[in-house]
Amino acid sequence: MIAIQGLQKAFREPVLRGIDLTVPKGCLYGLIGPGAAGKSVLLKHVVGLMRPDKGKIFVDGHDLLQMSELELQGFRKRFGIAFQNNALFDHLSVGENIAFPLRRLHKDMTEQEIQDRVDERLRAVALPGMQDRSPPSLSGGQKRRVGVARATVARPPILIYDEPAAGLDPVSSQKIFDLLKKEKGDATVIMVSSDLDRLLTVTDRVGMMLDGKIIFDGTTEQAQNSNNEYVRQFVHGLTEGPL
Amino acid sequence: MSLASPHAAQESLTFRIGKNLFDMSEVAGGMAVLLVRVLWRIARANFDWNEFKTNMYKMGVKSTPIVVVTALFVGAIAVIQAAPMVQQYGAYGLLGWGAGFSVLRELGPLLTALMISGRVGANNTAELGTMVVTEQIDALRILAIDPLGFLIAPRLLAIVLTLVIANIYADALALFGAAIASKAMLGVEYGVFLNGLTSGLLNFGDVAHGLIKSAFFGLMMAIASCYFGLAVKGGAPGVGRAVNAGVVASATGIFILDYFVSFIIG
Repeated sequence: MIAIQGLQKAFREPVLRGIDLTVPKGCLYGLIGPGAAGKSVLLKHVVGLMRPDKGKIFVDGHDLLQMSELELQGFRKRFGIAFQNNALFDHLSVGENIAFPLRRLHKDMTEQEIQDRVDERLRAVALPGMQDRSPPSLSGGQKRRVGVARATVARPPILIYDEPAAGLDPVSSQKIFDLLKKEKGDATVIMVSSDLDRLLTVTDRVGMMLDGKIIFDGTTEQAQNSNNEYVRQFVHGLTEGPL
Repeated sequence: MSLASPHAAQESLTFRIGKNLFDMSEVAGGMAVLLVRVLWRIARANFDWNEFKTNMYKMGVKSTPIVVVTALFVGAIAVIQAAPMVQQYGAYGLLGWGAGFSVLRELGPLLTALMISGRVGANNTAELGTMVVTEQIDALRILAIDPLGFLIAPRLLAIVLTLVIANIYADALALFGAAIASKAMLGVEYGVFLNGLTSGLLNFGDVAHGLIKSAFFGLMMAIASCYFGLAVKGGAPGVGRAVNAGVVASATGIFILDYFVSFIIG
């Protein structure tokens, strides 16, 4: 379970203005909201890449802010994250990118086991036989799928996806969401996406951020039927409304 | 007519100077902190050997052509500059010493550093900056990998070693170029040039002087290029600005260090 209490963060101006949020264990949580609402910043706090000015973050009962950088390094093994820009290492091949977390975090695994796991992940994301390709030679959708394969290869209990389908055509986008749903397993997942039509087909719960605050937190069905004018306008893509 | 008073303009100038000084202090402080943190990792051998080997190849081996060409011409240029004086006083026997003294102590390390700074330093800043804007550094941290130990320490070590090794063969090639130029321009026999070089006026201290400088230049270049690479903000234009700032800081730092190292070690 991920529990966030009173989280505040400002750069030049406040970005997070007192976030309270609970993501139950095993939940696929969709975080939505207009641009510059603070979604990506919130995700970076959840994985300990940023420290808040105020507030608390508990992950599976552990207070992230009480941890030293060294303890955090170890704790981050619990997370798999697919970044908005994919963040694939350009100097490594596709296979090496996917194997990277295993080689670094699971030194007890043999090379054969690592290769088998990489092959399995590549098949799972429908990119079999692409081990030797370099990331710059891939299409946008292929890069996304490699990012998902890398995020899930170590089978972490918490998965974070930041705009997993950004810039993809509708078919590729739906394929990515279906893949994420399929690959979820028992993991707790937080997913940020602007592609609400597809996001809401896979989420269990939804939170909406606006101006650094959570203005809605509920089930997907509640989000779709919400009377909150901001949520209604955003979820249904209406041009008329307060946004 | 402007409403701003001359006093306001003066304040503004003072403000700008002060701000620039603060900015420079911030950069210098940031580089110092980064250097200490990276050296601490190197001292504990807490860095990635594969990255080190990759960077030694990328930075060292691939810089060979540029260093070879530069070094050959540096030696020849030293002879061209000395030629009128040598001819006037008939000091042909001192040509080897003169070329050796200037190449080993100053021209070799300085020009090798500047050439490698343009190639390796700029590339290093661009590579790290791109990794920052595409969130690859964050990805490393998520994978519980210390970016300083994985990326920066191997690069710093590779750049310093590259510069020291490149300086050794650059010195040799520059002297070879000087000998050829002496023969071609002034008719000085190779034996006479070599005698001037080895007659005892030059010793290992002169070689060591250049090598020590190279190590310091390498440190300066490595830390400036890494610092500006890691500090990139603002996407692709930010990478361009960082490369520019990194090259300028490296070159400026190299000249400043050249003065102080020359002054301190004589």
